[in-house]
Amino acid sequence: MSARFAIAIAWTAAILAAAFLLLPLAVIAAASFSPTPVFDLPITGASLRWYGRIGSLDGFWPALGLSLMIACVATVVSLILGTVAAIAIAQGRMPGAEAISTALVAPLMLPGLVLGIALLNYFRALGLTATTTSLLLAHLIITLPYVARTMIAGLARFDFTLIEAARTLGCSWHQAILKVMVPALAPSYLTAALFSFLASFDNYPVSIFLTDARTKTLPIKMLQYIDEAPDPTIAALSTLILLATILLLFVSDRVVGLHRMAGTGE
Amino acid sequence: MIDGTAAHLVVSGITKRFAALTVLDRVDLAIARGELVTLLGPSGCGKTTLLRLVAGLTLPDNGHITIAGRDLTKVPPHRRNVGVVFQSYALFPHLTVAGNVAFGLNVRRRPKSEVAAAVHRALQLVHLEHLAERPIAALSGGQQQRIALARALAVEPDVLLFDEALSALDRNLREEMQIELRRILREIGATAIFVTHDQDEALTMSDRIAVMNHGRIEQCARPREIYTRPASLFTLQFVGLSSRIAGTVAASDNGRIQVETPVGRFEAAGTLAPGDRAIVATRPEYLRVGSDGGGNTATGTIRTIVYQGSRCLVDVEAASGQSLLASLSGDQAADLSTGAPIRLSWPVTETFAFPAPEARP
Ligand SMILES: Nc1ncnc2c1ncn2[C@@H]1O[C@H](COP(=O)(O)OP(=O)(O)OP(=O)(O)O)[C@@H](O)[C@H]1O
Ligand SMILES: [Mg+2]
Repeated sequence: MSARFAIAIAWTAAILAAAFLLLPLAVIAAASFSPTPVFDLPITGASLRWYGRIGSLDGFWPALGLSLMIACVATVVSLILGTVAAIAIAQGRMPGAEAISTALVAPLMLPGLVLGIALLNYFRALGLTATTTSLLLAHLIITLPYVARTMIAGLARFDFTLIEAARTLGCSWHQAILKVMVPALAPSYLTAALFSFLASFDNYPVSIFLTDARTKTLPIKMLQYIDEAPDPTIAALSTLILLATILLLFVSDRVVGLHRMAGTGE
Repeated sequence: MIDGTAAHLVVSGITKRFAALTVLDRVDLAIARGELVTLLGPSGCGKTTLLRLVAGLTLPDNGHITIAGRDLTKVPPHRRNVGVVFQSYALFPHLTVAGNVAFGLNVRRRPKSEVAAAVHRALQLVHLEHLAERPIAALSGGQQQRIALARALAVEPDVLLFDEALSALDRNLREEMQIELRRILREIGATAIFVTHDQDEALTMSDRIAVMNHGRIEQCARPREIYTRPASLFTLQFVGLSSRIAGTVAASDNGRIQVETPVGRFEAAGTLAPGDRAIVATRPEYLRVGSDGGGNTATGTIRTIVYQGSRCLVDVEAASGQSLLASLSGDQAADLSTGAPIRLSWPVTETFAFPAPEARP
């Protein structure tokens, strides 16, 4: 009897927590279909007019392009660097491997604002003024920890004898990596790429220090739109980004399975 | 090398160090084409390291490795054409059985039809044609072992290396695979090195056994010779049972020595000088009850009798607690009983003498 009661409480708590997390998203989605510029409850009708306006927002396309480009480049580069670093750490013959792996993952623990200010000063000191380059470097620092963490965990479970077996069967070292290690680590790569892409794409606190009047990433641009004209166009844009993310997760789940990506599966 | 044929694989003067630790110390080994040599030795003596050097997975500090006259010392593993069957099998989990076996051929960019034929042939050789499309995870240990072998065979390597390839299998399957492996290697005429620390496996499978200790090959000879003519005290102790008695050389003459021990004075072949500390030894099979088994005799009381089917292993306690092991036929052992006095004798020709290891201070 009391066990059943406890289960009921647990379920209620879980449902409430899920509702608390998901409700803002639902409100945004609902607002994006609002027929009037000011979102009101109760809803009186539905309209797609705000979706049509997204494309004509001032400076939308360059901002989207910049964000996508930075997220893609940062992800690809950190996948390569993260894998190489993780191999070195997993092989375990390097002195200080433990310290290096901690250092690689450390930016995850830093508040974005601190990282942003630090990078701003650092790039100034180096004389680096090109906005796109400093954004790229900064985002690499944001994405690398996600990739390194996932790849270190993936490689810890990888049997390096497989590489040696491939070598004796005629593979050069890089062929062995490509033909044996990469396929065996496919789930880790997908997880790392997803986290990395999303971390870069929606980053605000670091980017804000490094953008200038003409070069702005999408999140920064979106905040500016809200300041300027708070109509449901931004809600429509947010809903689209949400849908794209859900689609990405759905496809990844189909390809390798979310439980394998999270490392909780067998 | 053996039987007058030229050596196919030659390891000469190989030394390998890991930091301050010398793992292989000037190792020489020559193997004829089609020969199977077993590396037998205690854990940590350098067997795996020697195998990895031949495969090119580790580079030596000194020495040379040649296969069919070609110096491979500095050649990377993928250009050596040396196949390896790993203890963990190292099958690729993302490929099917056929995909694993085809791997080496696909890397070599062989035409599809040729690959298919070679895969079929290799799987036939290990009797697993019917599993071609299975994923690796759906195989038993014995099946995985055979697939690992088929994968190594498919590329027709010059030399095949096995690192404790059978040790993960249970006893029955292991014995079955020993015979199977011997058949397959004969069939394809492959030169092979087989690492094991199971001496029975070494005695059953090998053309020759290389007994290793502390990074050196103590003796490399046919199984029978390793057993009946051990070249060192280590080989004598590591392979098979023996009785060993410590003493002092009393006389030396023309390749024959007399050794004075607490159990009696024994004659053996050897060149030690009078006054040297020595160990005299023999194998249990050479001991007979009574005095007419040969020139060396000893007396004692029977401590234990272990029945081993057609033979009996009798442990005799001689003077000052010295143990003598005799393997006796059923009728010889018929009227023995524990606690009874017994006289044993064995031929001088089957008595070995080695210098006693220096006592460590
Ligand atoms: N990469 C390495 N770095 C440092 N030492 C090593 C390395 N590989 C092997 N060794 C050392 O070399 C010695 C021989 O190792 P090896 O693996 O060749 O022994 P083995 O005869 O195969 O033993 P086992 O029967 O236990 O497999 C061991 O003392 C081992 O610790
Ligand atoms: Mg070993």
